[in-house]
Amino acid sequence: MSTIYILCVEDEPEVLDVIVRDLSGLEEVFPIEMAVSADEARQIIKEINEQGDKIGLAICDHVMPGDKGVELMIEMQKEEFTERTRKVLLTGQAGLDATVEAVNHARLNRYIAKPWDPENLVNVAKDELTTYVIENEKDLLPFMGILDAKRIQEAIRARGSISDY
Amino acid sequence: MSSDEKYMRYLKESREKVQKREKTMDLHGTKRRLDKTTFVKHIKELLPGSELLKSHHQSYKQGDIILREHQENRRLFVILDGYVKQFKRSDEYDIAIDLQGPGDFMGLLSFQTGERVFTTARASSDVEVLRVGQGSLDRIQQDYPEISRVIQGLIFSNLSERYRRVVTLHIEIAQLSRELEKERNNLRETISELEQTRNLLINQEKMATLGELTAGLAHEINNPASALLRSVDYLTRVLPEMTEQAGALPDTGLVRAFLESGMQREVQDTEQQRAKMKKLQQKYPHLSRSVLRDMAELNHEMLVKVTPYAESSDRPKSLRLLLDSHKAGVFLASIQLSTGRIGHLVKSLKSYSRDSRAEPEVADIRLGIQETLMIIGNRLNDIEVDLNLPEIPLVKCYVGELNQVWTNIIINACDAMDEKGKLFISCGTASDEHVWVTIADNGPGVPDKLKDRIFESSFTTKTAGGEFGLGIGLAITKGVIQKHSGTISVRDRMGGGAEFIIHLPVYKGKESLG
Repeated sequence: MSTIYILCVEDEPEVLDVIVRDLSGLEEVFPIEMAVSADEARQIIKEINEQGDKIGLAICDHVMPGDKGVELMIEMQKEEFTERTRKVLLTGQAGLDATVEAVNHARLNRYIAKPWDPENLVNVAKDELTTYVIENEKDLLPFMGILDAKRIQEAIRARGSISDY
Repeated sequence: MSSDEKYMRYLKESREKVQKREKTMDLHGTKRRLDKTTFVKHIKELLPGSELLKSHHQSYKQGDIILREHQENRRLFVILDGYVKQFKRSDEYDIAIDLQGPGDFMGLLSFQTGERVFTTARASSDVEVLRVGQGSLDRIQQDYPEISRVIQGLIFSNLSERYRRVVTLHIEIAQLSRELEKERNNLRETISELEQTRNLLINQEKMATLGELTAGLAHEINNPASALLRSVDYLTRVLPEMTEQAGALPDTGLVRAFLESGMQREVQDTEQQRAKMKKLQQKYPHLSRSVLRDMAELNHEMLVKVTPYAESSDRPKSLRLLLDSHKAGVFLASIQLSTGRIGHLVKSLKSYSRDSRAEPEVADIRLGIQETLMIIGNRLNDIEVDLNLPEIPLVKCYVGELNQVWTNIIINACDAMDEKGKLFISCGTASDEHVWVTIADNGPGVPDKLKDRIFESSFTTKTAGGEFGLGIGLAITKGVIQKHSGTISVRDRMGGGAEFIIHLPVYKGKESLG
């Protein structure tokens, strides 16, 4: 089974540190990769693709030097490899225009305003990853313990039986 | 049609109106003989056969001056043909008074009273007149009694015509002034309405700038504040645990060493860190990713120290403690950095927004420029700022207002470059009298035909939707600069883009205060 990664993109290392720390509880199952720019994120996406793994969730700052978060997300939406990745914008200052663009063109799934509540961030990440695994994974059992158990159970029930899929 | 021509036409019309009325009036039953046309026709009939009349016949070309204001005049002029314009000089202007035609008398007043000529008469077309002195007039009256009878009546009618016209004019003037007064009141109201609107707009523009600044500040403060929050959060969580665990270590000095190393940690390249983490993962496959990530942040020295705890899987708590100590150090440093940043911001903000009602101060305007750049730093993420600010003389100014000027121009430049490009800010001394500041960008520049207009109020290139600014930013900017006895202009930057040039007078010591 291939590994499902979480990708965090944020230009300020201290803030990036905190995001990763907040999400570290998920790392037993979903390893986290960090990038400080869109360029670095592209590099990491390429590496994960080459390893034969997947990216389940991307959490991205908007205001960054170089390409903006929304630009990166639109690009990810267009690439087959990252099209299914759940996309969350974490930002203190994306204007309305950028946000509208992200929703319309990057199929943005969530928007979290800075400063964020760590618990909320974890819940959002769990929720999005739950959606990702339900939509993309055959075997849902390994995720029951760490993600939204109720939704996963329902999904398993909906599929008929555990082995039916 | 010039106003003068208009006025002459008006005079002609009013003259004809009065004449028409006189024609229908019965003056002592001498209506027919008083008719000017008949009178002129009569004289013209007599002219060819009368040496006396011929000797007083005179022609003028169009534009000739027939009588000049203030000159002496002993003769009476009777117009036989053509038109004559009467005008009087007031201040530096000739004011048209009247238009006279066939049958009218000129020089009547000066001829009768001996006073100097009252109005200048200029031929409006080619003019034929009969020009007679007192002696000749007596002789004509003797020789031509029929003329003599008419002439007194005509003089009277001529004067009464003039009087009527003066009265008519007075009435019209009174009406005009009433209308003017009404217009003036309307204008006054409009002006006061306009002033209110203008003040409203200036306030709105100020609010828009304020909004822009607030958004910038929110962003600038948000990041360090988030970092502070997280750091405190983390420390609150791990410190009690750390103190508990510290006793289990053989050497408590280790905790301190890791803490200090964390405080001095230099931010690593994320790529390097990833590589380091991969290596550690191969070496210690039994450790979790979050532990490995924390280890990857250690410098070489600390990595060596932590090795014995990482190798054995039976001391996870001690390993955790050391890594947490390091991390606590990192967060402490982050707290220092964040509070420093917020403190610096607050200081800049205080200085930026100095009370504009206060007295002007003698200041180094470069500080204001730097504070402005700090406060609107969020707009400059993708903009390379090229500062060239050598020392310049001090300027007496309202620092807060000048900061608005820098803010306005820099934000305009950012908008023009669509947030990506280069900003060039320089200053210098133009002479002993002036310092200059130039703020340039490498955006699209200002088209030539708009260069004069951009400082006008309500000029804007920003569309209404969603953009800050009402287009009076540069008008306010110009106002502030003028208040400081300075100048502002715009030109093309060499190599593309727009360049704003501001000149401000140098402060010349105490004597120029106030």
